[in-house]
Formats: sequence, structure tokens, C-alpha cells
Amino acid sequence: MTESDQQDQAPREVLADVMEDGNEAAFRERGREFLLAFYAALRNLRLYPVENVQVQRALDEVENSAAVLLEIEPELEVRVAGEFIFVNSTRLRLALDNYSTFSYILTTLHECGIGALHASVEVERREWQVFLALLLSSASAEVEGDRFAELEKKLAGGGVTHIEVEAPWESTTYEDAEARKRAAKRTYEQSVAVTQEVINSVRMGRTASVKKVKRAVQNIVDQVLQNETSIVGLTTIRDYDQYTFNHSVNVCIFSVSMGKRLALSKLQLYDLGLAALLHDVGKSRVPLDVLNKEAALTDDEWRIIQAHPWLGVLTLFGLRGYGEIPYRGIIVAYEHHMKTDLTGYPRTIRQRNLSVFSKVVAVADGFDAATSRRVYQTVPVQADQVLREMWENRRRGYDSVLVKSLINLLGIYPVGTCVVLDTYELAIVHGANPDTTQLNRPVVRVICTADGSRLDPGPLVDLAEVDANGAFKKSIIKVTDPGKYGINPSDYFV
Amino acid sequence: MTDTGTPEQLVDSSAVENLVRVLVKGLRAIQLYLPNNPIYQKAVENVRGGFGPVWEEYTELDIYVTESALVWEGVEVYSQESKSESVAWVLFKDGVRTLSFEQGVEDEEIVALLEVIKQAQSLPKDAPDDLLTLLWEQDFQRVRYSAVELGAEGIAPLQPSDSGWVRGTAPEAETIKKQIAEDTQDAESPSGIVKIDEFDGTLYFLDEAELKYLQEEIEREYSQDLRTNVLSMLFDLTELQTYTAVRAELISITENFIPYLLGVGDFRSVAFLLRELRSILERARELLPEHRKAIEQLPARLSQSDVLGQLLQSLDEAVLNPTEDELSELFGELQPEALQSVLEWLPRLSNESVREPLERAALRLASTHPDQVTETLETAEDPVLLTTMRLIARLKLTPFVPVLGTLLARDDVEIRKEAANGLAAIGSPGAMRELEKAIDDGDRDVRVVAVRALSERGHRAAFAKVEAVVNGKMLKGAELTEKTAFFEAYGLLAGSAGVATLKPMLETKGLLRRREDPETRACAAMALGKIGDEEAAAALRAAAAEEKDPLVKNAINRALREIT
Repeated sequence: MTESDQQDQAPREVLADVMEDGNEAAFRERGREFLLAFYAALRNLRLYPVENVQVQRALDEVENSAAVLLEIEPELEVRVAGEFIFVNSTRLRLALDNYSTFSYILTTLHECGIGALHASVEVERREWQVFLALLLSSASAEVEGDRFAELEKKLAGGGVTHIEVEAPWESTTYEDAEARKRAAKRTYEQSVAVTQEVINSVRMGRTASVKKVKRAVQNIVDQVLQNETSIVGLTTIRDYDQYTFNHSVNVCIFSVSMGKRLALSKLQLYDLGLAALLHDVGKSRVPLDVLNKEAALTDDEWRIIQAHPWLGVLTLFGLRGYGEIPYRGIIVAYEHHMKTDLTGYPRTIRQRNLSVFSKVVAVADGFDAATSRRVYQTVPVQADQVLREMWENRRRGYDSVLVKSLINLLGIYPVGTCVVLDTYELAIVHGANPDTTQLNRPVVRVICTADGSRLDPGPLVDLAEVDANGAFKKSIIKVTDPGKYGINPSDYFV
Repeated sequence: MTDTGTPEQLVDSSAVENLVRVLVKGLRAIQLYLPNNPIYQKAVENVRGGFGPVWEEYTELDIYVTESALVWEGVEVYSQESKSESVAWVLFKDGVRTLSFEQGVEDEEIVALLEVIKQAQSLPKDAPDDLLTLLWEQDFQRVRYSAVELGAEGIAPLQPSDSGWVRGTAPEAETIKKQIAEDTQDAESPSGIVKIDEFDGTLYFLDEAELKYLQEEIEREYSQDLRTNVLSMLFDLTELQTYTAVRAELISITENFIPYLLGVGDFRSVAFLLRELRSILERARELLPEHRKAIEQLPARLSQSDVLGQLLQSLDEAVLNPTEDELSELFGELQPEALQSVLEWLPRLSNESVREPLERAALRLASTHPDQVTETLETAEDPVLLTTMRLIARLKLTPFVPVLGTLLARDDVEIRKEAANGLAAIGSPGAMRELEKAIDDGDRDVRVVAVRALSERGHRAAFAKVEAVVNGKMLKGAELTEKTAFFEAYGLLAGSAGVATLKPMLETKGLLRRREDPETRACAAMALGKIGDEEAAAALRAAAAEEKDPLVKNAINRALREIT
């Protein structure tokens, strides 16, 4: 087959797809290929100068994959709505093998205030190159004012006439980062209140409202899908007095975020979130004097604490009828302190396969518990060290693939970590880098200059940014204890 | 309408008003009729059609919800003051404040939306769902809504801490600078720093094998039997937890689980539950007598007539459609007390797929617990009695011979017949002794069963009675089958001595003797065949040479064939 034959083959295959399954199947498959090429080009442009062979090859891919789509319809539309990407109105499925790519594109387009991009058949390779480069610089820069309008202007100035961008359909409140933060806060506050209500109701022998729990979990799922950075940022809240309630909500948020990376559907995320939120509900039956004891626990007291997983089972059975609390919640409450080899507690007799949900919650629970200040752990362990321990020490009994998934979610420097940069500035990690190849280069908020001057609130900086020579502009040289400086990291998220 | 220049009147709301009207009507139709009803279908068609004129003007429709009205572009397009009838109130009371439709909603999602509203309307106040939770689960793509969280008023807002840098005060710049310098003095080889190089490079992405592993884990999560999983944990806990109160709670949970499992038709889980309770009784440490008793009572409860009756009724009415394997597994766990209910139900079951496993269960229970069968025989009503006797016959249960013997005295022919069948099937000497009574039973079928069984078993004690019948007048008016049965029985029981009686009966004529009718002669031939000795054979051959009557000739030939 000659090269031109091969080139002809692609559109023919596309047409065959169209005839066989309708446009939707073709757009799903070819759209996915286009987005993978789009992502690869963005990544290469970020790392190398435009002349680089890899960048050029990636641009070829973008051009070719767009051309294939433009064979089917005269216009290519990529639209982002919430957590979804649509190519010519076809929603692309988030799967395990593409979630990080899609998440990166979603985040980049969100950052630039883009709701959709339209390319027409006349689009040229040069226009893709300019568009991608502008997109990158727009997403990474701290821009005052309307980022979208700025980008539109630059596109026109760069002679990009066959690619147009469109603002999101969402209401203006959703475009507003502050509104997003407020929504995340509201969800967090309500979830803590609901958890508190459930646990206190059980403690006092009253009936808890399942409806409210459902709503709280649904809201958390929505936030994780649409507003992940804000809601994950709030997991830095480690209220000493309300540890159990905050912890439950944090574990829920971490679990749902991990579930998102496992490509769970929205309803599956709900199942996981509900189980996670209620994983410690058994503590409602542990006497408060044992739960809050500051001194070392006696053997008997320790046994009572270790009973909370199966006390959770009893509690969830009693929460109202069997149809209302999903079995998965009961299973997770029971299994979340079991190790992958089924040691840990409670002890089991009958053959059992740990639920993947239990393993997810165990990882989220282990991380949040170790990084929190509690009655009997007044100095929390630094988050990066916790992750390292969870990853390296297999005797901890966590599922290593899921620990890896948590590291993918949080980055090597989790949200809220206090770091010193090589510029001797002090910063708080704001979020993992959306580019999963840059796990060690999070987005940080600089809160203090090298000369010790406090910044309020301080700029957000993407540590993956490079200068003209390809060198990173800023890097972390040290993780430090925020307590030494009197910093409370969660303040930067609420 | 006159133009007063107000914004409301610049908008023509008629298409939207019409749409809302058909939506409300559609909702009512969905509430009242099933989807296959023409009225339901017509209403859905109208709803779909109602969007057409709206989409001619607009690409999206945003409706605001108030307590009693739906408002579009400042115009009330629906209003209903009576809350019980108001669609607006249904939306409003659960917190919905806006409802937006996009083009294409009419294809599928609008019907799902109406179904959700219908469902929400019927929810009790303490239900685990409300309109918002139900809407969320639908994950609509072309319906959007905004809502307020009701009951969130008293929740304390998150605030930055008073002591941190944001709201509190930061140390002096010099102090911070000094602290940073201290912090970073060992930064060349810091102990607490996580360097990317120290991490496995594969941390960046999940590799193929890891992706596959996760995919399989998720598939397993959603294909597992959740109830069995939860039951296993309950049993582990019951076995391991020695706290009295905890065990009592666990037993109570298990007890309450049974009707629930039965209600949803999860028979396999019920069978599993009953099996595992046995192992708990065997293995659990320090089981208090009251707990032991409670656990022992759980399987018994399922075998009680009221509970089992409910189950069998559901099965028979095909409310539940389990597989035969599932039923076998469940019925395999029934206890002796269940037998009477099972026997009661067997005659009236109309669902054939249930009958077979239930019969197997009955056989198992009857064979292992004959005392239960006796009880049933003594107390049961006729249909149950018949089923029980058939069961006894199938199982050849010797202990029931005396009872069956007494049942031969019943007035009901069917009962006497089944009793005779039962005794015949058992075939023990005792059964045969009881069966002798049936030789002169008032019913022909009973007599035939008895005489055949007695002769086949060679029950010589019955000979005198049989001989009396053969030589007497009782068979004069009897039909051929009965005659044959008695004559053959006579032949079998009399042996060679019977030839002397039978040979003259077979002969065409005799000195000073009246010739027997062809049926009696044919029966005599058959009886000689049963004797089968040389003398009997000679008599048959002699008769064969002269016989003209086809019935008798045929009988002779058959008897001769039997001998050879």
C-alpha cells in the first residue's frame, strides 16, 4: 500500500464508521484521538522550544487528527461542560487510560475561561501551533482581568482566524473562581454538619436523616467533578475539636477524587462517597472519654477503639431499614482497617475479598489521619512523609496501586503542604499539577517573599513553568512545618 | 393586549404557557396511567409536541420556581394556589428554584423528569429521598436546575483561624527570614524532603497491568453478591464477639434480615444464612444458652407454617421467580416443622417450577423425620393426606403401615385407594397383613390394588380370601380387569394345587356341569399361566386345540407364552 493509499484509507474508515454506527461512534473514537494529540502537543510545547522535533511531530498529529474529524463535518467543536468534554456534541467517555489527559485539557480550558473551541476546514497547521502556544501561556500566567478576552485578542493578533473560542455556557457565577470556592465551602460546611448530626444522633439514640447524608455526598461528588481543586483544598482543614467530623468529610473527598481517577461513573462515585463519609460512624458508639483520651490508651480502651469498624456495621444496620443504607457502606465500615492480606482488624473467619471501595477508603483514611493533629497525635506528620511511608512501607497493608492513585491526585507535595522555594520564598501547595508528568511541581501560592515579607494572599505559581532557556523558574527545596512559622495552611483555602 | 411598554408585555409567552400546560397535564397522566396506556402515550406525545413552538423562538428555556407559580421572563406561565395540586410547590418545597431545558430534552429526558416529579410527590416525609436526590441520580444532560439547600441556615461558616497569617498576625519579617535560613541550611541534603528521584518513576501514571487490575477490581465490586458479603461479616462477628449485648444485637439483625431477604426473593442468601447459623452453633465460643436458643430458632422460624405459607404463596403467584437451583438450596434448609406446610401446599401449587423442588424437599424431610409424617397423617385434611400418602408410597416408609391400615377404613375411596397403594408400595409382611382387609373393600380399584400386591408378594395368608372370591359369587358382575386380578392372584398363591380348580373352569364343557362364561374361562386360562407348571401347561394346550371363542383363545395363547 502506498503512502497516499494509506492517507486515503483513514477517511474511508471514518466514513465506514459513520455509515455503520452513525456519527457518534466516529466522533467518540476520532475525538479521543484528537484530544490525545492535543494533549501531547501541549505537553511538548511546554517542555521544548517550538522547533523541537517532538513538538513538530505532535503538531502534525493535531493537524491530522483534526482533519479526520473535519472530513465528517465541516466544523470541529470541542466543548467543555462541567467535568465532560464533548466533540461535536458527542460526550467522550472518561476511562482509566485517558482520565489524566482529559483532566489536563479540561483544566487548561477552564483556566483560560474557554467553554468551547471551533475549528473550520480551512484551519492551518500554523494556526494550531499559535493557538496551542497561546493557550499554554494563558493558562499558566497570573492574569489580571478577563483571561478569555485577552486570549481572544491574542488569537486575532496572531492571525488565527479559523479557530475560534467561546466562553462557557455556565452561568457567570460558575465562571467566577470566588463563587466556585464559595460553593466548595458550602458543600464542606454542610457535609461536616451532616456528619456531626448523624454521629450525634446515633450517640443519643435518635434517628438520623438519610436524606441529608445523601445530599451531602451528592454535593461532594458534584464538587469533585466540577470544582476539584477547591474542594480538595478544603481537606487541609484539620479541626482539632471536630476531628471525627472533618476527617469523615476529608476521607469522603479524597475517596471520591480517587474514584474519579479510577473512572467510576457518577453514581458509583456516590456509592463510594457515601461509604467513605460513614466509614467511621462506629465511633459514635465509642465512649467519648475513650475517643478523646489524651493519655496513652489501656489495652481495654484500645480494644474499644479497634471495635469501631464493626460497631459501624451495627450502627448502619440500625440507621433505618435495609433499603436505605447501601451494603457497600456497611462493608467499607467493616473493612477499612483491614490490610490487603486481611490482617489488621477486625479479625475475619470466613473467606473474604476486600472491596476496592474499602481499599480506597483505607488509603484516604490513612493519609488524612496521619496528617491530622488529633488528641493523641498533637504533631501531625508532614503529608509528603505520610505518602512516602504509605508507598514504601508495604507492611502498612495499603493497596499500592491505590496509593499511587492518591499520589496522582495529590502530587508528591499534597495540597496544603508548606514549602520553601529555591528563591527562598515560602509557599503553600495549592493543588497538584494538572499535568501528571509534573507531580513534583505543584501549583503553589507564594505567601512570603525571600526577605520575610508576608503576601496577602500572594500569587499562584505553577512550578512547572520554564524560562526561555527551558529551566524551571522556581523549585521546591524544602518541605517545612507550617507550625514553625505560625501558618495555618487551611486558612488559604477557606 | 395593549403595549404599555412594560418588559413583561414585550414577551409573547403563549408558547411557553402552552408547554407548561401540557407538561402539567402530562404529569397528571403519568400519575394515573401506566406507560402502555393510550392516554399516557398521548400525553407524552403532547408534551413532546409542546416544545416545538418554543424551540422555534428560543434555544433554551429557563423557568423560575416560586411557591405557587412558574415564571418565565417575568411572566407567570403557571399558577396554582392549592399546594396539594401545585406542581410549583412540589418543586419549591424541596428547594428547586430554577428549571432549565435545552433543545433535545423532549426526546427522552422530559419523560424521565416527569417520572421523577411523580415519584417525589408520593414520597413520605421521612423517606430517604426527596426531589433533589432523585433529580441528581438521573444525571440529566438537557435539564438543569438550581436549588437551595434547605435546613442549612444554622451551619457555621468556615473561617480562617484567628491565629494564622490570614486573620491573625505574622511574625516580623526578620524572624521569618531567619527561620527560612535555618530551614534551608541543610537543603543540600535535607532529611525530610521528598525528591522526585527518590520515587519510582512509574508513579506518574498507572501502567497497563495496574489499569487492568483496577478495572477488574471495579468489575468485581459491582458483580459481587453484597448480601452474602454482609451476611458473612455478621456471622464472623457473631462467632467472634463474646460481648453478650453485641451478640444479641447481631442475632436480632440476622433475624430481621430473613424476611427482608425473602421479600426480595434472595433465596440463595437465606439458604446461606441458615447453613452458616449451623456452623455458628458448632463453632462459636462461650455462646450463652439464650443466644444458642435464639440462633436455633431462626431456621425453625422459617419452617413455621405462617412464614413458609407466605413464601410459598409468593412463589405460587409468581411474585418471585427464582431458579430451581435457588429453590432447591432454600428448601434444602427447611426443618421438619416445615413438612406439614409443604404437604399442604403441594396439592394446590399451580406453579410447576416450584413443585419439583418442593417435592424433593418433602421427600427429604419425610424420610428423615417420619414423626412429622405421622403427625400429618393423623391431623391433616384430605388433600394433604393424599399427598402425604403418595409421599409414603414413594419413600416406602414402613413405620406408617399401621396408620395406613387404619386409613383403609375411611369412607373416602380416594383415601382408601392411596392407603392401599402405600401399603402395596411398602410391601412388608405387616403391610400385606393390613392389605388383606382391602380384598373385600367396597371399591373395585382398592380391591384390585390389594389383590395384585398380595399375590405379587406371595402373601399366602391371603389365599383363603382370594379363593373364596374366585369360587364365590363376588366376581359374577365384576369387569374383566378385576376378575383377571383375582384369578391371577389365585394362580400365584395356589400354585399347582390350583390347577384342579381352574382346569374345569377353562374347559368348554363338562359332565353335569354348566359351561362358564368366556370372561371367567379367559381368567382361568390366565391363572393357569401364572401357575405355569406342566399340568397347567397341558390343560392350556388341550383347551387351545378346541377353543373357538376369541377372548378365551387369546387368553390361552398369552398364558402359554408366559409359561414358555
